[in-house]
Amino acid sequence: MSYSELIKNFDIIRDYMRNFYIYGWGSRETYDKKSARTYDDAKRRLESWLGEYIHYRQSVDGKRVFISVDTRSTVHNPLYYAWKAKSFTDGDITLFFIVLDILHEPSDFLPLSEIIERIDTDYLSHFERPKFFDRSTVRKKLNEYVSLGLLKTEKRGKTLYYGRTQNDIFTDTDALHFFSETAPCGVIGSFLLDRQEAYKDIFSFKHHYINAALDSEILYLLLEAMKSKQETEIIRLTRKGEKHTLRIVPLRIFISVQSGRQYLMAYRRNTRRIISFRLDYILSVKPYRKAADFDILREKLKGMQPYIWGVSTQGTGKRRETVEFTVYFDNNEQYIYDRLKREKRCGVIERIDKNNARFYAEVYDANELLTWMRTFICRITSVHFSNKEIETQFKADLEAMYRMYGVSDSDIS
Amino acid sequence: MIFHEIYSVYYITVSKILNEAVKNTVNIQRIREIAIKYAFAESTIPVETAVKKQAWQLILNDGNTPLHNKPDIPISTLQMRWLKSISLDSRMKLFDCDFNLPEDIEPLFTQEDYYVFDSYHDGDDYENEDYIRRFQMILKAIKKRQALDITIKNKNDNEVLCTVMPDRLEYSEKDDKFRLLTSGSPTASVINLGRIISCNVHNGDFYVKKDRKHFDRLRTLTLELTDERNALERVMLHFSHFEKTAEKLGDKHYRLTICYDRSDETEMLIRVLSFGPMVHVTAPERFIAMIRNRLKRQKSCEL
Repeated sequence: MSYSELIKNFDIIRDYMRNFYIYGWGSRETYDKKSARTYDDAKRRLESWLGEYIHYRQSVDGKRVFISVDTRSTVHNPLYYAWKAKSFTDGDITLFFIVLDILHEPSDFLPLSEIIERIDTDYLSHFERPKFFDRSTVRKKLNEYVSLGLLKTEKRGKTLYYGRTQNDIFTDTDALHFFSETAPCGVIGSFLLDRQEAYKDIFSFKHHYINAALDSEILYLLLEAMKSKQETEIIRLTRKGEKHTLRIVPLRIFISVQSGRQYLMAYRRNTRRIISFRLDYILSVKPYRKAADFDILREKLKGMQPYIWGVSTQGTGKRRETVEFTVYFDNNEQYIYDRLKREKRCGVIERIDKNNARFYAEVYDANELLTWMRTFICRITSVHFSNKEIETQFKADLEAMYRMYGVSDSDIS
Repeated sequence: MIFHEIYSVYYITVSKILNEAVKNTVNIQRIREIAIKYAFAESTIPVETAVKKQAWQLILNDGNTPLHNKPDIPISTLQMRWLKSISLDSRMKLFDCDFNLPEDIEPLFTQEDYYVFDSYHDGDDYENEDYIRRFQMILKAIKKRQALDITIKNKNDNEVLCTVMPDRLEYSEKDDKFRLLTSGSPTASVINLGRIISCNVHNGDFYVKKDRKHFDRLRTLTLELTDERNALERVMLHFSHFEKTAEKLGDKHYRLTICYDRSDETEMLIRVLSFGPMVHVTAPERFIAMIRNRLKRQKSCEL
């Protein structure tokens, strides 16, 4: 099949885009799980879609292609382009515009036979070699437009009539732009923006993770499953790259704005636990059956949330773990205390005195706090974990950092 | 379904071509121009070919179309449901608009369906009427290129008046705050909206001497990492929103070079520290010195 910049299946490009964007050191040979042709086609597509964001680096073992985006200066998520590259047939696009033209007026309701007649006589007959559509193709397409919400049907007697969905939606470009970058499934807002005439970009975004765009369809399917309280079957990749199929009850999406990750919190019946799954590792979502206990499980998750620091609902032991640490700040470092207050999540801050504050939290997995605690390095005066293994790890990491940067006892004044 | 051809740039491009064709004829040159503007870099040839060969039976050889009306594509149910969801977001109050959605439209998601677990607790107050009024005034001023007189409360709780040309509103999901990026004032190029006490359109002329760029103060940072405890994925994802390059140095050994704005240096420092010994900064020396300094101070805490 000859090359086309449009694609039928999103899965392959999702994988390539993620690798080119997040990692970006792979060469043609690195992507050996797919054919060289697949790699070349994916690369060419990305070059066509993303242009300025594609970079190249020559190394001893080949040319590297990668996507690099400063999302602070790029006001629209460029990864959304992949969602706008769905392939279609010549018939698809022809029918789409002709049908909407025939049903232009909201009052125009026509039966299938008349629509077909008008397609042939009013439109296709103008062409030298008209490509007429058979009845079943047109019916199938009309029903697809109905399911998309572009058309609606009305029964008159025994005949089904088709008409356009009338909507006088007012779409504010500023709101669309803002939420297309910040709301779940923001790519849908980007589709709406594409319909707008020229407008001025008012917003830019800091600390802006754009990779979640690649998981939009998965997120959408999970939102739908939650809406209909469905137990679902998901296929996900393990860290070793193996595919696992499992049945879960999706309960809530947890989004991190500090790490660029999105998680599904879901209940697994066989382990009877609520656990998290990374959305970018989920390959497919299929409804399985109604989950009669959905509301109870969601309430259960709600009850657990005050003890979840990130997404982990299980530490090494059966009991919840406690974390406590104190930080010191100078008289002119009040902002450190403010930082603690605004970043504490489910923790509690206690001001010990003018220059010291204590953080305390009871969580399922104290390991999740280590990353954040290290941001206070230079002022941590005491730490106490109920899980001593984690405390040892924290202190060992500090020692490793001292060695890494050549800090010894003699450096202490 | 999100991945559908009705949302493709090709459909948008063809609707733009038809938009002109129903009014007048379109020639191949114009079709090419429209494709360049609305589609991908390599789209011009397939679009041109499909039109010329009449594969898409929408444009006749003489540049006319049998269509009678400008294409008017209804908004899909998926799009309406998404609009319904954002209309329920508290930040929607900042925008003076009503989508006029049908009443029976179900939201695609609500706050019950998702939870941002690591944004900071002291975000801007989107319920505050004064904040909303100022936000809308700023929005209008950016569009009209109107200078603003803004009084802010600075870090020392003193009130400061400045006149600025508003350029853009920058939003951080992590901070859940808006910042106004401005030009014309050397002391107030970035203003936190939450710190604004009053904001009025400047009465009189205001000249911006030099068009300052906000992102022309980039610095680079090089760090190396060993892929242990899933460090590789965590680090690459964490720093993915910066302009960066990555190299594989050995079996489990990688180098990452990141460009960042120098005003964010302290933030970069603590972000690097958060990864502990999993990452090792190798350049620049100045940054390494800052890390060493923090580590020395930590060591003196005698944990």
